[in-house]
Amino acid sequence: MIGPLLWCLVAPLLLAAVCLLLRSAVWPRWLALAGSLLTLAIGGYALLDFAQHPGADFRLQQSLAWSPDFGANLAVGVDGMGAAMLFLSGLVTAMATIVAWRHERSPGTYHALVLLLLAAMNGVFVALDLLVFYVSWEAVLLPMLPLVGVFGGPQRRYAALKFFAYTLAGSVTMLAMLLALWSVTPAAGRSVLVPASTIAAYSIDGGATLHGLPVLRTADSPIATVHVPRGFDLRHLALQANAWADARFLGWSLAAFGFLAVLLACLVKVPAVPLHTWLPHAHVQAPTAVSVLLAGVLLKLGVYGLYRVAWPLFPSQAIEWAPTLGVIALVGILWGAYAALGQRDLKRLVAYSSVSHMGFCLLGLASMTAVGAIGGLVQAVTHGLSSSLLFVLVGVVYDRAHHRDVAGFGGLMRPMPRFAWLLLVAALAGAGLPGLAGFVGELLALLGAFTAKGSFPWLAAIATLSVVLSAAYMLWTVKRVAFGPLRHAEHATFPDCDRRELAAMLPLVVLLVVLGCWPAPLVNALRPACEALLMHVQGALR
Amino acid sequence: MSTGALSVVVWLLPLVTAVVVGCLRSAKLAHYAAAAAMAVAAVLAASMAVTVVGGGVAVQGPHALWLDLGSFTLGVGTLIDPMSAVMATIVCVLAAVVLVFNAWYMHDDPLAARFPWQFCGFVAAMLGVVLSDNLFLTFCCWELVGLGSYLLIGFWFDKPAASDDPDYQSNKGRGARGVLEHQLSPAHAQLKAFVMNRVGDAGFLLGIGALLVASLLAGRSGDVLAFSQLATLASAEPVGTATFLGLSASSLLGLGALGIFAGAIGKSAQFPLHTWLPDAMQGPTTASSIIHAATMVAAGVFLVARCYPLFSPDALLVVGWTGGITCLLAASIACVQWDLKAVLAYSTVSQLGLMFVGLAAGAAHGGRDAGLAHLFTHAFAKCLLFLCAGAVIHAVHGCQDLHRLGGLRKRMPITAWASLLAVLALGGFPLLSGFFSKDAVLAASLSAALADGGAAYGPFVLASVGSLLTAAYMLRWWLSIFAGRERDAELVHHAHDPSPAAAIAMCVLLPFTLALPWTIGDWLHVQHGETHGPAMVLALSLLAIGGVFAGWVFWWAPSKGHDVAGALATNLRRLHVACSELWGIDRLWDRVFTRGLGQTLAKATARLDLGSAERLAALQDVANAPDEVSLDGLVDDAARGAWRLGRAGSWFHGGGLTVYVTAAFVLATVAALVGALQ
Repeated sequence: MIGPLLWCLVAPLLLAAVCLLLRSAVWPRWLALAGSLLTLAIGGYALLDFAQHPGADFRLQQSLAWSPDFGANLAVGVDGMGAAMLFLSGLVTAMATIVAWRHERSPGTYHALVLLLLAAMNGVFVALDLLVFYVSWEAVLLPMLPLVGVFGGPQRRYAALKFFAYTLAGSVTMLAMLLALWSVTPAAGRSVLVPASTIAAYSIDGGATLHGLPVLRTADSPIATVHVPRGFDLRHLALQANAWADARFLGWSLAAFGFLAVLLACLVKVPAVPLHTWLPHAHVQAPTAVSVLLAGVLLKLGVYGLYRVAWPLFPSQAIEWAPTLGVIALVGILWGAYAALGQRDLKRLVAYSSVSHMGFCLLGLASMTAVGAIGGLVQAVTHGLSSSLLFVLVGVVYDRAHHRDVAGFGGLMRPMPRFAWLLLVAALAGAGLPGLAGFVGELLALLGAFTAKGSFPWLAAIATLSVVLSAAYMLWTVKRVAFGPLRHAEHATFPDCDRRELAAMLPLVVLLVVLGCWPAPLVNALRPACEALLMHVQGALR
Repeated sequence: MSTGALSVVVWLLPLVTAVVVGCLRSAKLAHYAAAAAMAVAAVLAASMAVTVVGGGVAVQGPHALWLDLGSFTLGVGTLIDPMSAVMATIVCVLAAVVLVFNAWYMHDDPLAARFPWQFCGFVAAMLGVVLSDNLFLTFCCWELVGLGSYLLIGFWFDKPAASDDPDYQSNKGRGARGVLEHQLSPAHAQLKAFVMNRVGDAGFLLGIGALLVASLLAGRSGDVLAFSQLATLASAEPVGTATFLGLSASSLLGLGALGIFAGAIGKSAQFPLHTWLPDAMQGPTTASSIIHAATMVAAGVFLVARCYPLFSPDALLVVGWTGGITCLLAASIACVQWDLKAVLAYSTVSQLGLMFVGLAAGAAHGGRDAGLAHLFTHAFAKCLLFLCAGAVIHAVHGCQDLHRLGGLRKRMPITAWASLLAVLALGGFPLLSGFFSKDAVLAASLSAALADGGAAYGPFVLASVGSLLTAAYMLRWWLSIFAGRERDAELVHHAHDPSPAAAIAMCVLLPFTLALPWTIGDWLHVQHGETHGPAMVLALSLLAIGGVFAGWVFWWAPSKGHDVAGALATNLRRLHVACSELWGIDRLWDRVFTRGLGQTLAKATARLDLGSAERLAALQDVANAPDEVSLDGLVDDAARGAWRLGRAGSWFHGGGLTVYVTAAFVLATVAALVGALQ
């Protein structure tokens, strides 16, 4: 019997196989759409469930034994964070499929790759087992390599190789971490002490069990004992945080080594300055739909990895590194914004705006406040919506003009009013205008950092500068593309956005407005998970 | 209906109207439907005002939770007190009037159907700022006000820059200088307005952060950004000695107040962020009439009045000096502008400065009421002036050069006399509205100066000189357009008053320029302290001097054939050039911020990040890419290094016995060293 979350993994894989077997040009599109809509439905259902019944527990859990001796299971389940990301993954993939509709070379192969990518991304978001997480994490690279390197622009090989090598180098370290964790654990497992607050946050049966493990607790004691078996269950690994801090690996503290390994893998994906230069190349060379997937979902893997692995498993290292990470986030916010301001290629411009926006995810998480952590995840979701919209719009204009030089446009409001208005909405969402979703994440991340300890208020104060910079690079772009007199006479005949393009954009616009005006469901779904995470991390201090 | 529910209706009616009229195809229908809705909103707002002003009470309207974040919450809700009820009424009245006028003003504009919905959205955002009961909602609506102005300023989106515009080049005046023509277009003006506002908004956001921290430090929770909470926070004795980054709760409150004022500097176009407002004249004149009167620039003054309890005497001194400097600076520029709309724009900047001078006097000296009173009286007068300016520009086919107009009073009598009334009201002529509000501002400011002495005299002196110039440049404006002879007969040949509907819309505003009890004072209980008498004498003398001077230079002397204005400009050349060049502030901003900190730094960052365009073009062939330092190039260098290492490794694989022995020896040494060190 396969549960809903497992279907999110299995269905895209099966559909991908069908795509490859079918010799049809039409069916693969519908199959890709079906796969992504299935993910969207399941993610949406889970997200609504968490919005209505908030909780830090994992739902829709399922575990299939994989290798019992090794302690590895095909275990899936989502909390609020995972549900939000799964929803995003389904939505963005669906939009990307519509964008590519009838515009892809060899549809069978293309959509099979997209479905593979979807399965891998979903795997990361629903994994409850570190091994599943790692395999999915690496599996994301496999379809991305041909999607950029075969289906991309003239310099696609350079861009694909750079992307592949960069992200692989980042994640190899994660494999070493994974093996190290296993190797230092006794075969019989170990008993760990767990504070009652953790049990209260995560236990779904009043404290009898925690993450499927029986809790041994004398009455009224603030500390309980849980025996954790050897294995890769992420929640069990998090319970052993103190053990990792005490263990040694190759002369290092295992926690220090493991945290840095995960941090490197995630910062490359986010991407954080100075590890970001693969992103502009990949975006510029990738076809529109792949750019949408890259910006909309793939960058979020890095953020999610920090929330799901780095913070829970190595809390004291997280506290130690948070100020540094805050500085990295700030540098990314400002560097990305300035670099975006200096670009002429529209795609590269949007890519750098992503670098800037993703900095807020890091800032929020690093601030070590619940508000900031919620803000970081909200920012991840809303940036997925707004950057996807921007990339679709760049694709629209590229299809007509066959170039992306911002200086080569002007006055498109006259021939393409729908395009121009949508571009304005997307730009304003990127600039963090209240009423559109981009504002919520930025605001919460900043408020979190303001109220945080140490240097964070100063970092937040400087990061506020991005309010000016984002308005400048976004609206300057709108001005150069859509306003002013028509620059080239041949642009006057450009057709406005057609139904396919509108179908790919309007859902994003609607969500940007709805989440901008009423973010409570999303925030309520994320809040318990973020608060429990923060409690877990701060518990490591004692 | 309860007052609270009424406030929600007043707020949402423009929003719903915006959606409805956005769907209408007929521009005329959309204008009149929107105007009717605004009129209804105005009546509702007025009934609300009658309730709260009579009792002098504040009513908390409905309040809903927006986000619950654990340690604090963010909410949306309304607060109706005399200040917000009166302001909401003014906003709705002016909105209805401007919409009726605009139906005529844009009757042959193909884009006209876009105006009503953008306008109604703008009004709804402003009503949000006015009626909001907490700082968070105020900030959201504040930003949306910025969006509204962005859309309306860029209304004629495909108009070319002034430097490429033959109409502009043929119509521009002799004295045209100081303006950066290649940047003077609706598309650039809207960008400039939004980004410069964002500079202030960044400060606003910092202020919110400081207030949030101060509240949490004082051990508060719940909706800590509600105005009622902030007021009690400011009045409460500091609890404990908790500090944050070495800042006590009270200094954080001070920081919060200054942050909020930074937002007000941006939105209310105060020095040094004032340069966006004159450029915003690129929008339709009717849009200017609402932006300058009620919806955009008023927001800053209103916000400071709303957050008044947070402002300590020191913070108010900053407010006062900023307002005073702006008042005088803008007035000096207004005196020498050739463009009839630019004079009005700098006049607005100057009057806003005066309002801040009033506010800065402090509650004890009646400063808050004085500043608000001037905000209200100025709103009607300035809205009327812009409508008249729109009528004139329409009548003379877009010419805005004061040197070429003249003598229009005969062809446009309604416009001429209506605008004269507005000019006199703005100048502070007795029995007109501005007389009382300006007197109140000067009286409050003088009272504060006498009480505090020292630096507190600055705002008063600056505002007094500014008032003197106000009388002069406003009279110059009116005399140049309507008085004297027709200087360009061809230009004014077809000039006529606007259509009856538009003329009625103008005339509706006339009673509001009179000093009737219901325009000022009575509702707001402006305090008339001991300085009232001296201030009134001062205001009247300033008006008399400025008015007589302007009458002599621009009416009597030209009628006798003397060019006194020209002689003055020659003799005071340096001053004249400085004023005409806008004191160089526009250029400075352009050079330091737009180009320097903006474009140059951005280009440098982009270059340092990915390298030059040549490098990017050559990336096909990694080996032959130009050798230059960039972040991305370093990554490639590292990759190339690893590749060479790999090549070396392949030699290692094929190597002989010596290689292996050497390698084993090195490895063993390293291992021993590592082991020994541990």
